[in-house]
Amino acid sequence: MNQVNRLAKGGRIDRGRPLTFSFNGQTCHGYTGDTLASALLANGVDIVNRSFKYSRPRGIVAAGAEEPNAIMQLGATEATQVPNVRATQQALFDGLCARSTNPHSGLLSTIGELFSPMIPPGFYYKTFMAPASMWMTYEKLIRKAAGLGRSPREIDPDHYEHSKQHCDVLVIGAGPAGLAAALAAGRSGARVILCDEQEELGGSLLCSREMLDGKQASVWVAAVVAELAGMDNVLLLPRTTANGLHDHQFVTLYERRTEHLGDRAPEVNGQQLARACMYHVRAAQIVLATGAHERPLVYAKNDVPGNLLAGAVSTYIRRYGVVPGKRLVVSTCHDDGYRAALDWAEAGHEVVAIVDARERADGHWIEMARAQGLNIIMGSAVIEAKGKNRVTGARIASIDVARFQTTGPASELSCDTIASSGGFSPVVHLSSHTNSRPVWREDILGFVPAELPGLTPVGGACGVYALGDVLKGGAEAGAEAAIGCGDTSASIDLPDVERLKTGEALGLYQVPHEKPTLRAPKQFVDLQNDVTAAAIELATREGFEAIEHVKRYTALGFGTDQGKLGNINGMAIAARCLNQTIADTGTTIFRPNYTPVGFGAIAGRHRRDLFDPERYTALHEWHRARGAKFEDVGQWKRPWYFPSNNEETMHDAVVRECRAVREKVGMLDASTLGKIDIQGKDVREFLGRIYTNGWEKLAVGKARYGLMCKDDGMVMDDGVTTCLADNHFLMTTTTGGAARVLEWLELWHQTEWPELDVSFTSVTDHWATMVITGPEARRLLAEVTDIDLDRDSFRFMDWRVGMVAGVPARVYRISFTGELSYEVNVQAHYAMHVCKTLFQHGDKYGLTPYGTETMHVLRAEKGFIIVGQETDGSVTPEDLGMQWCVGYNKPFSWIGKRSLTRPDTCREDRKQMVGLKPLDEMVVLQEGAQIVFDPQQPIPMTMVGHVTSSYYSPTLNHGFALALVKGGQKRIGERVYCPMTGGVTHAAEIVSPIFYDPKGERQNV
Amino acid sequence: MSNVAIFEQRAADTIAAESPLHYSLHRHAVSAQGADPKEGSAVAMDERAFLGHLIVRGTAGVLRAAIKQVVGIALPETACGLNVEGGKSIQWLSPDEWLVILPPGEEFATENALRQALGDNAYAVVNVSGGQTVLTLSGPSAHEVLMKSTPCDVHPHAFPVGRGVSTVFAKTTVLLRRPDAKHWELVIRRSFADYLYRWLLDAGEEYGITTKHTENKDNNNE
Repeated sequence: MNQVNRLAKGGRIDRGRPLTFSFNGQTCHGYTGDTLASALLANGVDIVNRSFKYSRPRGIVAAGAEEPNAIMQLGATEATQVPNVRATQQALFDGLCARSTNPHSGLLSTIGELFSPMIPPGFYYKTFMAPASMWMTYEKLIRKAAGLGRSPREIDPDHYEHSKQHCDVLVIGAGPAGLAAALAAGRSGARVILCDEQEELGGSLLCSREMLDGKQASVWVAAVVAELAGMDNVLLLPRTTANGLHDHQFVTLYERRTEHLGDRAPEVNGQQLARACMYHVRAAQIVLATGAHERPLVYAKNDVPGNLLAGAVSTYIRRYGVVPGKRLVVSTCHDDGYRAALDWAEAGHEVVAIVDARERADGHWIEMARAQGLNIIMGSAVIEAKGKNRVTGARIASIDVARFQTTGPASELSCDTIASSGGFSPVVHLSSHTNSRPVWREDILGFVPAELPGLTPVGGACGVYALGDVLKGGAEAGAEAAIGCGDTSASIDLPDVERLKTGEALGLYQVPHEKPTLRAPKQFVDLQNDVTAAAIELATREGFEAIEHVKRYTALGFGTDQGKLGNINGMAIAARCLNQTIADTGTTIFRPNYTPVGFGAIAGRHRRDLFDPERYTALHEWHRARGAKFEDVGQWKRPWYFPSNNEETMHDAVVRECRAVREKVGMLDASTLGKIDIQGKDVREFLGRIYTNGWEKLAVGKARYGLMCKDDGMVMDDGVTTCLADNHFLMTTTTGGAARVLEWLELWHQTEWPELDVSFTSVTDHWATMVITGPEARRLLAEVTDIDLDRDSFRFMDWRVGMVAGVPARVYRISFTGELSYEVNVQAHYAMHVCKTLFQHGDKYGLTPYGTETMHVLRAEKGFIIVGQETDGSVTPEDLGMQWCVGYNKPFSWIGKRSLTRPDTCREDRKQMVGLKPLDEMVVLQEGAQIVFDPQQPIPMTMVGHVTSSYYSPTLNHGFALALVKGGQKRIGERVYCPMTGGVTHAAEIVSPIFYDPKGERQNV
Repeated sequence: MSNVAIFEQRAADTIAAESPLHYSLHRHAVSAQGADPKEGSAVAMDERAFLGHLIVRGTAGVLRAAIKQVVGIALPETACGLNVEGGKSIQWLSPDEWLVILPPGEEFATENALRQALGDNAYAVVNVSGGQTVLTLSGPSAHEVLMKSTPCDVHPHAFPVGRGVSTVFAKTTVLLRRPDAKHWELVIRRSFADYLYRWLLDAGEEYGITTKHTENKDNNNE
């Protein structure tokens, strides 16, 4: 396509560097410096999208972040797809490939037209309300028609960065106010960050008609930017959107580092650049210099392509050298609306008329327009646009704003472009992200940010529009924010600005039509969500009077748009319908994100193998070399099982590992268990209060199993604690519970019993633990240790210090398998050496490494619980049948004791732990399977418990399970049933949870 | 606290020992093991392996004199204080908790001497040498790498030499310290070491990060 709308000269584009891009498959041309939107307009593209709900053709309306229609899907390849990019914010690059998110498909447009009468306002609200069953049907239709882009189906080849920043002053927005603020703060020596969402810093000054120091404003911008760039204490971030503002001046900045350069992030010196960066900024002070969005007027068919914001028309002409049409009608109610007409005329195109709703006006721009002989029609407004795919005319009429009616017959002007301006709305979005409600100011006809600590709005963001005042306010706020950070004497000389004569603005939002709102052609308020003035009127008629209800009823300001163009008009219309003021009506809360943020930037470097920490034991490499399959336990990677030759099935490996432990000897890496070193005079007393069982009499040299409850009497953790010396104990916890238990101990010590002399230190990572277990354990260990392993002197639940494989070690006789076991603990640096030495000696004894799966089978055969598997936070020690581990008569109460006497915890029919033996010995019940007493009962059946652990036992040669069953401990011998999906029902007998060696003889050999 | 069960946990030098980053360095080393890191690299990473690490708990009033006498460094009593001298350091961790880092092999003798000096007071000393290691970052871009990783403010004004904090780093925690103007130190837990090492390599790639492994006692005194 040719650049039919491009001017021969002017603008900040580089005509010497032409670019080629594609839009919906069509080849187009533009220049370096263009946005995708300015290039599309230059190429004469009228229709850029179809609307969300009614599938109406839509064109470009704005020139910045507030653009509601030109929402694009970018990406030349599947992997580089980016949805929801505003064409007005996307810099043009060579080869850019853009598509409409809701393209010109005849089918979709037919659906939209067809369904238009069936999708009344409140459609979403009503489909959510009733009937629920229909929602599934609506949802598919809505999602298909919604057209807000799609995610890539392939892995994103680019990478993204995070950076945590701290500063004294964060200036958001680099227009006149922001530049002045950053300069004042920067010169004082404060740490300053200045960010702006656009390609270039400068904001409105880049295309302003006004002069600074008698020169083009862009000259001043260049000088200020150069000075700021030279300051070490200032970080300049163009192409960076402040997308969210949170409590305590925490702001997220989304910097698009390479999206102006190409489809993929380019390589520089062999390094691929990060595509985008998310800055997490903590600022002492924020200067909010986000400017103002121009407010369109709401008139009939104001969505036909060719209806633009007046300010956007000026921007396209002055900044990009593009005139988006031939014949212009301007509709406005304040002085600034005239600028578009002046720019249009200066570009050599025809201004058909300026229609001003005010009765009279005599400001600077009006006088200039008069002097140029432009046709000005007062007391009137454009009440309706003509045309379908492009504006063909404007119907204008004289209006009475106060009475909201037309006062004379309408006449039609032939034109192809209508520029409207109802005034400006301060960009207050960020200020309301922390839930503070903006405040209406009648004098500026706009909402301004509520007062917030650490936040100073300046310039347009607080309704100050005269350029001289904007610069002054920005400089003062910047200096003020930097107080206490450095040299306070630094000041800046502001450039001279001619003060322009301005007339009073008129508050006009919706333009009255000859027909009532509900009968007039659609008057759009929110173009992105297809919300009309009629919808808002209907909402108020149906009783939705609170503005938050109106929003949800109509979808006004939803989604990625967040009400940038439509919200204030919407509030004004609601206020008119409810016969109240805008101040009374209030505004909804704008939410993060200000504009959409890519998921990649949110993830940063936390992706693939860095997505989450992987914790390794000191033996991790040994496990890998042995071909271990790993299981995630919390963040730990634990060996799950060790298939031989890497081809054995899990079942076969587990059978082999189980047999090795029961018949010969196995080795388990138990280093992940939490270990807490506890020292002090009062450790015994402390343990007695934390654990359910008694610790008074535990002798030095002995270890004991302990059960820990929360204050609700439910089991929270378990483990073996050893008395190393009278004032020195070592507690072990579950792998997943280590951090939680340490916090729990500190909590009770620091808040309830500070008088006890105890202190806790995590030594989980310090010690590596190797469990040597099985009938041959003693003979194997004896080969590598100087410790006397005699069964009568080093007994079950004793510990010893000595050398193991030449390394100083603590060895505990603790057993989680039921077999003769030694747990060898060495400083982790030596774990690999000890492990290798054990295996050098272990072959003749059949030493076999085993993983967590075999550990689970072996412990379950013994009826040993796993906290988090047999328990779920609703299981007491008594439910587990562990009354033997509860000290009911300890002198000092312990955590959870009182809760065990509550009527509910004493109920006889509580779910209690039992063993289950399936009648079919080859069946392994599913963990989590529900249990019933009566398999014939019709659905819904009475569920009486569930299977908590279930395995095949190679030792017993049948499947077996642990389960929680109502009143189970008195039902030994009874039959229960597990009805499975698919209609099969498994029968099982309730048995003791101890399946193997019930007397515990094997661990004592 | 006396009446505890402690023993020399370090084995003879003939026994092979592996630092927490032993395999990470082999697998992902950017400069060959043993070779000097690239001259002029913008970030260099160096593991100071096998140092003695002791956690000391108690009140400053109880510990002050004994620490000074035994370790030879003043106890840092203000929050986030770090005192470094002669290859040893003491870092404030919490109002009743300090980390003492010593040259390799000195931890058991130091613990014994501390217990002797502290007598029957209420305190605890725990050897955690096997559970953590020290990683130093140096070079002009070191603080850029830190800014990618931790929400802690690492600007020299906010983080002067002699400061040490416990902070979030990537998705885990580290002790982050500034022993001198040229180095940052990360005290990291053994089980998280490989994750953090890979994280730092990834974050430092654009600055040409290099790696090194120091076991020699003397290097700690540079």
